[in-house]
Amino acid sequence: MSDSDVKEPEATTEDGDAKGDARDNESPAPKGDAPGEGAKADAAKADAAKDSAKSDAPPKSGPYRPTPGKPLIEMSNVTKTFHKGKEPLTVLDGLTLTIAEGAFEALMGPSGSGKSTLLNLIAGLDRPTSGTARVAGHNLEKMSDGELAKFRAQNIGFIFQAYNLLPVLTAVENVELPLLLTKVPSGERRKRAETALRVVGLSDRMGHYPRQLSGGQEQRVAIARAIVNDPTILVCDEPTGDLDRKSADDILALLTKLNQDFKKTILMVTHDPSAAERATTTRHLNKGRLD
Amino acid sequence: MLLKIAWRNLLRNSGRTLLTVLGAACALLTFVMLRTVVSSWNSGAEYAAKDRLGTRHKVSFVIQLPKKYVDDIRAVPGVKQATWANWFGARDPRQPNEFFANMAVDAPSFLEVMDELVLPDDQKKAWLEDKKGAIVGDALAKKLGVKVGDKITLEGSIYPGDWEFNIRGIYTASRRSLDRSQFLFHWSYMNDSLPEARRDEIGWVMIRVSNVAQSAQIAQSIDRVFEERDTQTVTMSERQLQASFMAMFSALLKALDIVSVIILAIMMMVLGNTIAMGVRERTREYGVLRAIGFSPWHIRSFVLGEAAVLGLFAGVAGIGLAYPVVDRGLGQWLEENMGGWFPYFRVEPSTMVTTVVIAIGLSALASLLPVLQAGRISVTDALRRVG
Ligand SMILES: Nc1ncnc2c1ncn2[C@@H]1O[C@H](COP(=O)(O)OP(=O)(O)OP(=O)(O)O)[C@@H](O)[C@H]1O
Ligand SMILES: [Mg+2]
Repeated sequence: MSDSDVKEPEATTEDGDAKGDARDNESPAPKGDAPGEGAKADAAKADAAKDSAKSDAPPKSGPYRPTPGKPLIEMSNVTKTFHKGKEPLTVLDGLTLTIAEGAFEALMGPSGSGKSTLLNLIAGLDRPTSGTARVAGHNLEKMSDGELAKFRAQNIGFIFQAYNLLPVLTAVENVELPLLLTKVPSGERRKRAETALRVVGLSDRMGHYPRQLSGGQEQRVAIARAIVNDPTILVCDEPTGDLDRKSADDILALLTKLNQDFKKTILMVTHDPSAAERATTTRHLNKGRLD
Repeated sequence: MLLKIAWRNLLRNSGRTLLTVLGAACALLTFVMLRTVVSSWNSGAEYAAKDRLGTRHKVSFVIQLPKKYVDDIRAVPGVKQATWANWFGARDPRQPNEFFANMAVDAPSFLEVMDELVLPDDQKKAWLEDKKGAIVGDALAKKLGVKVGDKITLEGSIYPGDWEFNIRGIYTASRRSLDRSQFLFHWSYMNDSLPEARRDEIGWVMIRVSNVAQSAQIAQSIDRVFEERDTQTVTMSERQLQASFMAMFSALLKALDIVSVIILAIMMMVLGNTIAMGVRERTREYGVLRAIGFSPWHIRSFVLGEAAVLGLFAGVAGIGLAYPVVDRGLGQWLEENMGGWFPYFRVEPSTMVTTVVIAIGLSALASLLPVLQAGRISVTDALRRVG
């Protein structure tokens, strides 16, 4: 993987797009193509909205429909206690937090302060021991495991420090995975996965396996996988923790783009102050409380 | 897509998958061989002619019947023809370890009752005319290395002494109901050479009926004829007769059945271990899938699918191994050398299907524990796992 593979995502996007969609067009205007991407993703979004309108999802699950004046994430008086080993370990202690829709927030704090734990609660991977967690219109603390799984599939895009791609699937197959949980037909699945990969600037790496990609590229595939379902919230646990400065900056630029152009609400745990600078707000978690 | 993942996960550690498949295939090979022994053994009875009955002493095969019974049996309505035979139990002194069936038969009636015996006319004529004449099945002729015109001396055990024979014919069979490794000679030659006290005793009677549908009644009528005599008989279909002969070996067959089960259990553990290792290694991946929104049921079916594919491989590989070994190698040898016991030692298509189904089924069963574990994975714990 040469350095040029890991250049500015936007640039690669245009590049890939020019090859993919405008092969016959001799002079594709790079600037003109970027909105094209947005239009495509918007179309996907509209499709998703149509799907859900048809199925008339009950309010307990289903994609998020914003309520005016209500924040997207409302954690109130949340406690999380683990009971492994002899003594119970209280990681979060009466934490309250609200995040508005469209925010790009960074969460910092020393190791073991409970950042990942908080992120897991917001993402519906776990339920609080006490308190309420209201995310995208759902009261997570009251939901069953199955309902939480559905909630995650529809509302949350995950980006992990370790990328966590399935090694046996190609980039585009990895991105397709979340769509297997939807009613999207297989041809359309592939198209949407390709669109998502184009958004992250990897249109020329679709058939590559994770082991054939650089860390930065793997993380971009992971981001494509996180956005392919058009979730409301992107949850990132140290997304740049394993990357060099340059790749990290690319990823952060991509997240910024997703926040600004695609209006994704992003919550990012990070140890990297320069990563936190990209966020609109930075919060600090210390001993289970936000300062 | 889900099958694709199962498939690729198996290929991912292809060395381990290969070893597992080979291990399971070896177990299946042994299983198929044992099953074939059992089914071939039973098929001896299955290939029996349907229009034939056999009459033997009520107590045992070993006790003889008076020869005049044959005429009484011929008089029973529905009996087309009856013939008799004695188990001679002699060996070829040149090849004392080669076991083969040799019987004294009444040639003219024997050929009528055993109508599937194929013998060229000139050989038949020569046999009937030569008191010391004998015919052998083609499989046995090959084994003993004899041809028409040869002289052969057999060493008697039930009927002691050296017995000289002239090979007058080599027979084949038009149906599988006739064993092609028998040595048949004239009953009169044996009978006339015996001391007075041992003469006119026969081993059993073989009967051909005119109407298969009535064979049960005919068998009853035959036994009723001898009900009031000193020596009572039991008459049954050739199939039952052979089965009753084989029943002597039922303990052995049962042992083989038990061994088959043990072998399958071993195979299950081999497969189960591989599946369990796969699940352990992929805990984190399953955690990621759960995070994305896949349900525990999805994860379970991933594992189950993998197990099924593995089982399918093992089954197919097992048959791939078993077919050449059983059908080409061992089977041919057994049919040629021990055709009396294994008239048709081949892997039955039904055995092949059963083997594959069993392999898939047991693989799925073996994966039950890993499947349950995979379904119970805690998402947060799986994601916290480093690696
Ligand atoms: N499932 C669990 N069972 C038991 N203890 C847990 C569990 N999850 C987290 N903990 C404990 O909770 C504390 C906070 O963990 P958490 O992973 O949230 O920290 P963090 O702020 O993300 O740290 P880092 O920066 O190292 O990732 C740790 O002491 C950890 O051991
Ligand atoms: Mg953490």
